[in-house]
Amino acid sequence: MKAVFLIAINFVREQRWPILVLLLWVLLLAFLGLATDAARQREDLLFIFKQVAVYVVAFSVFFGSSAIYNDRRSRRILSVLSKSVGRQQYLSGLVIGITLACAIYCFALGLTGSWTLGQAGFQVSEVWFLMLCLIAACALAGTVALMFSTFLNPFFAAGATAAVMGIPALLSYTSGLPRLSYAVPVYSLAAAVLNSSFQSHESVTWLPIALAIGETLMFWLLSARIFSYVDIAVSVE
Amino acid sequence: MIMAGVLEFNGVTKEYRTLLGRRRVRALDSFTLDVQVGEIFGFLGPNGAGKTTAIHLAMGFMMPTHGSGRLLGKPFGDKKSRRRVGFLPENIALYPRRAEPLVRFYGALSGLGGDVLRHRSREVLERVGLQEDSTRNVSRFSRGMLQRVGLAQAIVNDPELLILDEPTSALDPVARVGVRELLLQARQEGKTIFLSSHLLSEVELICDRVAVLHHGKLVRLGRTADLLEGAERMQVVARGVVASCFTGAIVRNGSIVFSVPAAQQRETLERVWSLGGEVVSVNPERRSLEEIFLEVIAEPHERHIA
Repeated sequence: MKAVFLIAINFVREQRWPILVLLLWVLLLAFLGLATDAARQREDLLFIFKQVAVYVVAFSVFFGSSAIYNDRRSRRILSVLSKSVGRQQYLSGLVIGITLACAIYCFALGLTGSWTLGQAGFQVSEVWFLMLCLIAACALAGTVALMFSTFLNPFFAAGATAAVMGIPALLSYTSGLPRLSYAVPVYSLAAAVLNSSFQSHESVTWLPIALAIGETLMFWLLSARIFSYVDIAVSVE
Repeated sequence: MIMAGVLEFNGVTKEYRTLLGRRRVRALDSFTLDVQVGEIFGFLGPNGAGKTTAIHLAMGFMMPTHGSGRLLGKPFGDKKSRRRVGFLPENIALYPRRAEPLVRFYGALSGLGGDVLRHRSREVLERVGLQEDSTRNVSRFSRGMLQRVGLAQAIVNDPELLILDEPTSALDPVARVGVRELLLQARQEGKTIFLSSHLLSEVELICDRVAVLHHGKLVRLGRTADLLEGAERMQVVARGVVASCFTGAIVRNGSIVFSVPAAQQRETLERVWSLGGEVVSVNPERRSLEEIFLEVIAEPHERHIA
């Protein structure tokens, strides 16, 4: 377990610059909270909050699709896997690392959102629930991307992830059956954030969060299975 | 005395396939080798011979197409056996961190912790001559310094078996001597070293046994001393005869020196005596590893591209 956390923390450390760039958006929201009249411009603040929130899902896909590729291309993976570290542990470290990187962002956004939207009348507990939805969505999106990246290059892995996340949402939209989007609930969870408002407090159920956690475990197991057959020392170019 | 093999390849074949699997390249072909406890084993071969493939198979980075192997008694890929192995890859790539925390990171991945890890990290950095630079970020290191950090991370867990892929390729002569001493000291401590290198003079100096790989096949294997002192030719030193009587003879310190095939040794000596000369010495001709290596790879070998 120690090795898994070491790899996870190392991943976050390696991704510190993209995380810091992401955090600039949170800073923008905080700046708007300071510079504007929160009560009068609350809809604008909520719009910015939603926009900034969903960026992290896209970033989780980028993190997931490039994590193994970067380590294989730089050959750093050889020094890690030459130690007493199994491939499954390595992937677990990456999944936790991706989730941790996104959780850092969600925590900062949750704090800023609680402060800016809270003073405009938005329920603080809902802000944190939405952050939980986002973290679950990021964990699932990142793990799906990681699974594809075990055998595809980052560009195709990101595309395949977008397809896996988008097809259930598209089917749900065309068939009119909202539950279909729960098949891979990244869209449902992101939609919970995008549809939030000051007026309605119809909270999203815990079901998509539970499904996302379950599917994250499933895709993690699948990626570990695929990765156990991959020749990692072979060039990824 | 029968000694246990620490690294065994049993008829290992590895084929690489292109994306659509139309073309196959056989990097390793029915490769069998047994490395014994406590020896420094030199693994030689020209570029593309399959040395790195063999090492990567042993470390479990890839799976053999056919055959099997064992690392410290466990099948290739077993992570518990890797805890007792130190590995330095060719062209080491490391995370951009300060040297000491980086070595600690790799030590922790090997299962070390606490004061032992802290003490070991400092000790190995000192052994590779980087104690002064332990607080510097490795991203600012020269290639030779990176290689030494790579060596430090390989030995931080005090491994029983060291697998080194070109460990001295980027080092200056002084650092190279340091690494050589480190390896000899490791052997004295009972450790086994599997050394892949292009620096034949290094291999000649420290390796107990060598194997030469060419086009994925093992083409020569033996004790270094036996290979260097091949019994095929004998070197004869004689005096009291003129050099022109013997093909290829040269005059050195008043004596003539020439070599003859071992089968002609007796008649050559009789000829020296019949010419009124005196035989000073007759010894197996010692060749350099470089000569043997060039001779071996010049022999025709089948190349496997399907």
